[in-house]
Amino acid sequence: MAARIRLSLLVPKNSSLLGIQRRVHTETAAKEPAYPPIVASLTAKSKSARLRQVEEQVKKIRASPLEEKLSLITRIQRKKFVVYPQTFARNADRWYQHFTKTAYIPGLPEKFTAAAADGPDAPAGTRAAVPGIEDEAFAEIRSLVQRVILQEHWHVKRRRPFLYRHQQQTVGPFLRNLVKELTLRVALHNPPLLHSSLDFSPAVNFYWRRGQRIIPKGHRRGHLEPTRFQIDDRPLCQIRITERLPQFAPLESSYEAEVPEVNLRPDLMPLFRRQYDNHIFTGAKLPDPACYGHTQFHLVPDQFHRDRMARLQQSDQVEVFLRANGLASLFAWTGAQAMYQGFWNHEDVDRPFVSQAVITDGHFFSFFCYQLNTVALSVETDANNPRKNLLWGSESLRLYERVEDGEVVGLNDHVLALLVHFLMNRP
Amino acid sequence: MPVTRILHPIYQLGNPQLRIFRPNWFLTLVRPGREQPPDTVQFRIPMDMTKCDVKNYLEKIYNVPVGVVRTRIQFGSNKKRNHLNQKVKKPDYKVAYIQLAQGQTFTFPDIFPEKDRTPEEGSMEEMQEKFMEDEKQRQKGDPRRGGVTEWFGL
Repeated sequence: MAARIRLSLLVPKNSSLLGIQRRVHTETAAKEPAYPPIVASLTAKSKSARLRQVEEQVKKIRASPLEEKLSLITRIQRKKFVVYPQTFARNADRWYQHFTKTAYIPGLPEKFTAAAADGPDAPAGTRAAVPGIEDEAFAEIRSLVQRVILQEHWHVKRRRPFLYRHQQQTVGPFLRNLVKELTLRVALHNPPLLHSSLDFSPAVNFYWRRGQRIIPKGHRRGHLEPTRFQIDDRPLCQIRITERLPQFAPLESSYEAEVPEVNLRPDLMPLFRRQYDNHIFTGAKLPDPACYGHTQFHLVPDQFHRDRMARLQQSDQVEVFLRANGLASLFAWTGAQAMYQGFWNHEDVDRPFVSQAVITDGHFFSFFCYQLNTVALSVETDANNPRKNLLWGSESLRLYERVEDGEVVGLNDHVLALLVHFLMNRP
Repeated sequence: MPVTRILHPIYQLGNPQLRIFRPNWFLTLVRPGREQPPDTVQFRIPMDMTKCDVKNYLEKIYNVPVGVVRTRIQFGSNKKRNHLNQKVKKPDYKVAYIQLAQGQTFTFPDIFPEKDRTPEEGSMEEMQEKFMEDEKQRQKGDPRRGGVTEWFGL
């Protein structure tokens, strides 16, 4: 029975084969190979077989639709280094730059510095100008920010915050109010923000592989194992928009940038390895139309507040901590956005992805811009890849001095303008 | 720290300060077994010394700027047996990793540097070495024979 069916299926094939043979005889002999290419075995216990298996897996991931692709990339669970964006490790920024292949450029990109440079040129207006916002509108925004500050520090009477919860319980609400009000107001001048999505304490996760090591002991001893990393971030709030922000610098300009190289094992940072589900998540599920990042807002917890650092005589680590935080958070978020568009190790991004972040402890604001130029970070794809990710960052700037008798003293217009300018960034 | 009671004459206000009291703790600076970042120094410290103690010790006595101290306890092996087949325990010890502050770095000094061992021209040693080399070369045998002994063959 079965044989008869097989025969019937073979008949058309045979006829076509005969046709090919006939043509081969008529044309040149070395046109089409008669045999399939010789490839390594899929099942043997050898290095070439392993390579073939990896190749097949890459092909499979490439061909699969987006959702399946993400699950395939994150499927294999092994021990991975958990990278904390807000870390206690000293000099973490250099390590993080190496893990994410990011070059740090001090100062903000030209887009923002150009406006700031215009500010001092016009001495009549004491404030720094923001393109697209007139003086009256800016004055309104200024009074709005003053109201928000006063609301938190003057009008509201709170109980004393719990120990080491001061930032969360006092500055957290202030920052949430500020972002809510500011976005609403700036959206009048920046229409894409009207279709944006504002998330509060969303989860942002990213999983990637970079570098490799030889397993020293155990039953897999001697094997090469890629080093895996996972970031689980929880920003205070973030704005997502439906279109992509324009790049800060052309992709080719990153070729010359320098990334510090750290040749030591990551656990000397110290960084610890754990095993749990690999997650890649931007804060919204895949079908969400607002899939591109705009701005993230982070809060410095009490543990890393600059007063405490000064008490511990670690004032030099304040900026380092902020930089590391901005770098890790933005890399995770931007990388996840790129992954949501279907880019991964073996299919590198065709255009840069961009996001911004503001990190604050209530008084001091630091601004970061990130441009993701590559997600091909693992060993096999990193070779001969001149692209580097770029991070711009400002030092922390003071927004206001203090609140006195229902008045905000020393509100810094330059910082406020920068904040508004960040929100005014549009696709 | 074993408590030893020593009776010192009572200090009277205004007397010259003759004695400095120091903890009888001893830190051993060791060469790290695995390579460490340049700002990290490794010590073996007494078991009852804590991170804060290490920090104070280095800062107050040696004026070393200490950033962070991390400690762990190394388990000494209990696997070895003596001639009576009894287990012999190697003592445990505490290891401290100290990250220096203010951008200072530390590399463990090379205590036993390699001396270059080239004997002088025309000395007895040189002649001896040369003789030994020649002798070795002579005894090596013919490489073309591939290890087959001399008496085998024509």
